[in-house]
Amino acid sequence: MNGKLILLNLFIILAFFLTGCQDAREVQELGITLLIGIDIEDDKLVLTGEVVDPAFTQPGKGDTSQNNIVKYVQGTGNNIYEALRDLVLKFDRLLFGYHNKVIIIGEEVAKRGIVGYIDQLFRSREIRETSYMLVAKGGKAYEVMGINSGLEGIPAMHILKLIQNAKDNPKAVDMNMVNFLRHYYHEGHQTILGVMEKKKKRRINKGSQTEGTEDLELSILGSAIFNKDVLAGYLNGNDTKAVNYVMNNARGGTITFITPLPDKGERLETGTGHNNLSSLVVINNKSKNDVEIKGDKVLLKTKIRVRGFLEEVVGNIDIAKRENLRKMEEACSKAVEEGIKSTVRKVQREYKLDVFGFGLAFNKKYPQEWKKVKDNWDEIFAEADFEIEVETNIIRTGIINTPITMKKGK
Amino acid sequence: MDNTKQINRVSNYQMILLITIYGLMTGFTYLPAINIPPANQDIWIVYLLSIPYTILYCFPLLYLSNKFNNLNLFQYGKIIMGKFFGMIVSIYYFSFLFISLIIFVGVFIEILDAALFPETPTLVTAGIILITCVLLSYQGFRNIARLGEVIIPIILVIIFLLIILGYRNYDIDELLPILGDSTFKEINLAAMNVGIRFLDVILLTMITPYLSKKEDLNKIFFRSLLYSTILNTLIVVVIQMGLGVEFAKHLAFPFYTFTRLINLGEIIQGFDSLYIISWIMGNALMISGYLYFATVALGEITNRKNSYFIIPISIIVLILVTLIKDNLPILPLEEPTSTIILVMSIFSVLVIPITMLIVYLLRKNKI
Repeated sequence: MNGKLILLNLFIILAFFLTGCQDAREVQELGITLLIGIDIEDDKLVLTGEVVDPAFTQPGKGDTSQNNIVKYVQGTGNNIYEALRDLVLKFDRLLFGYHNKVIIIGEEVAKRGIVGYIDQLFRSREIRETSYMLVAKGGKAYEVMGINSGLEGIPAMHILKLIQNAKDNPKAVDMNMVNFLRHYYHEGHQTILGVMEKKKKRRINKGSQTEGTEDLELSILGSAIFNKDVLAGYLNGNDTKAVNYVMNNARGGTITFITPLPDKGERLETGTGHNNLSSLVVINNKSKNDVEIKGDKVLLKTKIRVRGFLEEVVGNIDIAKRENLRKMEEACSKAVEEGIKSTVRKVQREYKLDVFGFGLAFNKKYPQEWKKVKDNWDEIFAEADFEIEVETNIIRTGIINTPITMKKGK
Repeated sequence: MDNTKQINRVSNYQMILLITIYGLMTGFTYLPAINIPPANQDIWIVYLLSIPYTILYCFPLLYLSNKFNNLNLFQYGKIIMGKFFGMIVSIYYFSFLFISLIIFVGVFIEILDAALFPETPTLVTAGIILITCVLLSYQGFRNIARLGEVIIPIILVIIFLLIILGYRNYDIDELLPILGDSTFKEINLAAMNVGIRFLDVILLTMITPYLSKKEDLNKIFFRSLLYSTILNTLIVVVIQMGLGVEFAKHLAFPFYTFTRLINLGEIIQGFDSLYIISWIMGNALMISGYLYFATVALGEITNRKNSYFIIPISIIVLILVTLIKDNLPILPLEEPTSTIILVMSIFSVLVIPITMLIVYLLRKNKI
């Protein structure tokens, strides 16, 4: 009897798969997009899609140069859906967004407020909420599309890899659609998004390029900060790194700091070195934000704990000694402290927007007071004092001990 | 005529599984509780607090079902209220089951339209689920319970699997501050609102005479209430941590959207299809159960075998759902579905059972 029940169960499940024929869409009829760009031109929304031809992604099938792997299509309309439908009159396939990885927002759209333009992306089931969002810094989304300076065959995959590399360098932001919207709704935490910028590239391989053309590369260094969903400005790479540290988003990356000097008697003879900077590779980083009400002022506090290993040591220090290693840890902590303090000051003065999420910490700690201050939290944030405490823990020093610029002697 | 005599005994375990999954399906589908004021990060507390309220609300029905544990709700309704008023009670509960059936099938079509078959006509999707449920109902409740015994554990495993696989999307800060943004009154009102929606107790009172251990009725009720509430609480916590408190409120099917966030590495994604499969299985069980008991109610009213009504009722549901669904969405509109469910819940779990209890206590000696 149990066997019969299992069989019946199996038939019920299979029956639902069979009904899929009604909505079946054959792969050769689809315009699979991996990247879309959203711009505004003449008050109309311009949607650009990078459509991949599945036939050319198979090894050994035809010419796999970028021109043949992907096609760029553009539609115009009053909103996204109208633009999508405009596309079908110019392109022979319906765009299919299930595999879309990245959405690039043109600067003009970001300045007008993103959320009002992207309802369709959330309402339709096609585009996954895990698609990354980037702002085309200083230009249109379609201007940064089609540039592939990497080894990935498909430009969208090149961009995706750049975003994923943010885990190794927190000077960029990897924000997806659902997290963007989550932050947008938060009171006491302004949104940030990653940026995409095209840059001229130094030509190294002279033989491979046609004379007169310029080499371009894409960079996702830095971030865009928002007042709700309206673009307020940009942060450079170091400031973005500081924001990521405070927000607990930095999963890796490097901290470069001035190598401390040991006590006088311990100094060793050194060779030539171009500077005295050392680098720590972060294994993990944990931050905790807190706020305190002090009279009529608010004190913002951050506590950061960094664990990592030394990747480069240049300077007059023998790190084989425990007390010197401790000095390295202190120097690293100081560099993080100074970097973050400078970024917090800059954001407070220039933008007056709490992109760090201290408002959330305030709400958690003082829920009743929060109700009184939430409407003008950004002003309070801009005037608040900031305090930071960083603790560094170096757990590895590599396969050499003293820097190679030094002579150890006897 | 006793229409349920044909069915054999249903074990405590089967009944607990069924009532648990019936109680869970609403949360698994559209989770209305996240929009009930205070509609904030404290909804998980609301769910836990709803347990004592549910027990309180269900007390009259449970008391009467324990007293008349050889009879179902319609049968002891007639004894307590007399033939005429007993008939009105049966008609009311039939209407409740019938409307519930329309809502469940309508919601089923809605999520299938949204997630799988946007272009398939309503008639086809509604037809397929109703044919399946007609077959199940014809086999009697015992077979629905036995099927549940097989597939409910699968559904529960899938739910836990999805919850575990989604861990990378969780942000526990979404649940803070605890009780910072809600008042005691708001939390309690919400708990009362959630508590009244445990309508599946009505099915339990209909199957009481055929429980293998009738004296365990209270145990079955408490266990299934506890399990379904804990699972619903878990779903609320996961959805709010994964999607954010506010964004979750904007979603027609929050758990479905949550499953779309899950991926393993670059390649393995599409866990939403796993959700849809388990959700279809759960709904097939739920719709079959409600269809079966709607026909049992009709059988009591007309004094005929319930199996006569399974196909006609299904055809009427099919026509009505097609007419409704092809004219307006059910879930995205706050009204009238929400009000219909609330009013039905108040009458089905509170007003009628309390009236029956009062009449029973007054006429106790004559019954």
